[in-house]
Amino acid sequence: MAVGSGVTPLRPIVLPRFRSSNRATLLGILGILLFVGFWELAAQVGWLNPVILSSPSRIAVAFAGQWQSGQFVADLGVSLAELVIGFGLSAIVGVAMGIAMGLNRTTEYAFDPFVWFLYSTPLVALYPLIVVWLGFGFSTVIAITFMLTVIPIAVNTFSGVRSVDPSLIAAVRVFGGSKTDVILKAVLPASLPLVLAGFRIGLSRALIGVVLGEMFSSNAGLGFRMTVYAAHLKTADVFVPLVAFVVIGVVTTQLALLLESRLQSWKT
Amino acid sequence: MRLSRRLVVGTISVVAFLALWQFVGQREIVRSDLISYPTEVLATFVRLTSTGELGTNAAVTLQEFIEGFVPSVVVGVIFGVALALIRPLRELLDPLLTAIYNAPVIAFIPILVVWFGVGTYSKVVIVFISAIFPVIINTRVGVSEIAEPWLRAVRSFGAGQLQIVTKAILPGSMPAIMAGIRLGLGRAIVGLIAGEMYVSLSGIGRMIQIYSSAARSSEIIVLVVVIAVFGYACVALLRSVENRMGTWRSDLE
Amino acid sequence: MAHLEIDAVSLAYPNAREQSTFLALDSIGLGIERGEFVTIVGPSGCGKSSLLMLVAALLHPTSGSIRLNGKPVVTPGSDRALVFQDFALLPWRTVLKNVELGLELAHVPAAERKAIAQKYIAMVGLRDFEGHFPHQLSGGMRQRVGIARALSVGPEVLLMDEPFGALDAQIRQVMAVELLKIWERDRKTIVFITHDIDEAVFLADRVIVMSASPGRVIETIPVALPRPRPLTLRNHPDFVAYRQRIWDLLEEQVRSSLNWQASDEAPPLAPVS
Repeated sequence: MAVGSGVTPLRPIVLPRFRSSNRATLLGILGILLFVGFWELAAQVGWLNPVILSSPSRIAVAFAGQWQSGQFVADLGVSLAELVIGFGLSAIVGVAMGIAMGLNRTTEYAFDPFVWFLYSTPLVALYPLIVVWLGFGFSTVIAITFMLTVIPIAVNTFSGVRSVDPSLIAAVRVFGGSKTDVILKAVLPASLPLVLAGFRIGLSRALIGVVLGEMFSSNAGLGFRMTVYAAHLKTADVFVPLVAFVVIGVVTTQLALLLESRLQSWKT
Repeated sequence: MRLSRRLVVGTISVVAFLALWQFVGQREIVRSDLISYPTEVLATFVRLTSTGELGTNAAVTLQEFIEGFVPSVVVGVIFGVALALIRPLRELLDPLLTAIYNAPVIAFIPILVVWFGVGTYSKVVIVFISAIFPVIINTRVGVSEIAEPWLRAVRSFGAGQLQIVTKAILPGSMPAIMAGIRLGLGRAIVGLIAGEMYVSLSGIGRMIQIYSSAARSSEIIVLVVVIAVFGYACVALLRSVENRMGTWRSDLE
Repeated sequence: MAHLEIDAVSLAYPNAREQSTFLALDSIGLGIERGEFVTIVGPSGCGKSSLLMLVAALLHPTSGSIRLNGKPVVTPGSDRALVFQDFALLPWRTVLKNVELGLELAHVPAAERKAIAQKYIAMVGLRDFEGHFPHQLSGGMRQRVGIARALSVGPEVLLMDEPFGALDAQIRQVMAVELLKIWERDRKTIVFITHDIDEAVFLADRVIVMSASPGRVIETIPVALPRPRPLTLRNHPDFVAYRQRIWDLLEEQVRSSLNWQASDEAPPLAPVS
């Protein structure tokens, strides 16, 4: 079964954060500061129009305003809840699917066309159907998130299960292990690296699902708030949820990578 | 004739699904205006094509895609190579680029529309931005991994040698670059459709939005299939380009 | 009644593509006594590993039956423990946890498990390596873990599938001596598969010689050499005689399994008589 390009983990990009020298970290922070500083300078001096393009200082002010009114926190809560629930559901269903497909060829062949279709299709296009079926709101966002996330998790889990060394399975069986024992003691631990990679990819997809869902089919959350501010041309305010999403994206990826390396510490 | 089991079970599965769908939809076991059914979808497809509605909108979307994607690949590869070879640049920009790569680029759509308008230009920008980061980062990784032993050579040679090195490095890092382009492709399509759905004057995404408000499922399904076919065609095209260039692919692709 | 009885066992695999069946084992009959150390030699692909899998009940015979203590062997269980050629250790578990695997699957409580595992880890001489992971150990050490794991469940029969096959020649010899020392302690019934004729003779009470595919028992050769057996025994004329006899039987089998087609040019090598 064709496993799409999402499977290969891009470890080297973010690992430097962990094992690099202090110099590299400092340079990185410097890079971000330079970017922010240059932007602010450009706005102050008039190279760009701060009303349209905004500036770090205006964004900071907007953030303060949104925070104090409680708006930001409320939106953040909604978005995070959707992310957690959507991802959580996808993880459970996706892993189950992946294991079922991995252990049983007939299941794999039966599911394969649909998985492949859902994996290659930009699922953003399916979302309107979901809106037609489920209407607006919290559950629709969760449904979209689920739809986007479950496939990479299933595909990676499947790949992980398939790559388990058969003699490990034989070892568990030979000592009297039942089918459940084989899955719990051999298959799952052995496929963990790929399953975790699937989680990491799924997490970023889930975030996209939340953003998409909120932008188009909800009336709460950071994504929705962005569209409201944009409609009123309040550019500085638009940046606040936007930056929040970027931060969430980075933090979740780092957490996922940290989890991956912790759970595989035996390898070193 | 030997039929592989995979093909047989897969085909049966798809046919069973279509049959079930047809049955449930046509007999209104579930409301057919919600889920439609295969023959209705087919009829709708014919209708949309014959009126030219599908054609004109598809052309707009395709144009936006090409105008955004091609430059992003070119710029992305160049930038990625530069990052791989020039260490201070890489250390300076890596965290920033990684942050944006890990962020949902879709979230940038509202602000990009504010800046670039509701027409095709903003969509071109969306495509460009969505595709460029995977390309940059994958190119950077690919080139770095090939180039490690060469980097010392590059530093000891003058700039004139750089071209030779790049000609040797680029083919070696092709698999990683192609992987980046494939990832960029996926993101570009998502960004493009989402952008058109958000606000636009024409295009497939706009069609989806219109029919979504009108709750016309069969039209939406036609459009979903069109997008899926387009995505598949692009990937197939990329694969054949890759094969023509005679590159190898890693086990997991 | 023998401890382990293999009664007219055949194993056939259906070959879907060619619409035929491949006969791996052809009516194997063996009776192995309690406490016997039996080695099986044969050319590659003759089905020796499959035979072991059948005894372990990881595979099922197409015809015939296998009985342990008179009772038919149907499912895998801790009465027949397997030692694998590629060690089959769980890489994410420590040595201790790996050895505990069999006991875990038999639902032995944790404290007892640990004590038993530690006892066998000490027996194979790895006491200081309890907390190590397999990738930190050499091949020989990993196999010792595999042996400890198999012994810890107190099996009636120890099945060893070319256990030293992945180790280098010198280590193999040392491991053979150590294995015999461990075996001397409680004299388990052992069925040991190998390619190496010297190893087969050195270890065994009886050597079973199998044919090329489909596998049949060609001959059973009792090895009447005294125990304990030092490595120098390998140079003893009686040992050499056994080796020659087995090789005479095997050479034909090995050549046929090679499918070496005669070339027109060079004359065939004359046999050394």
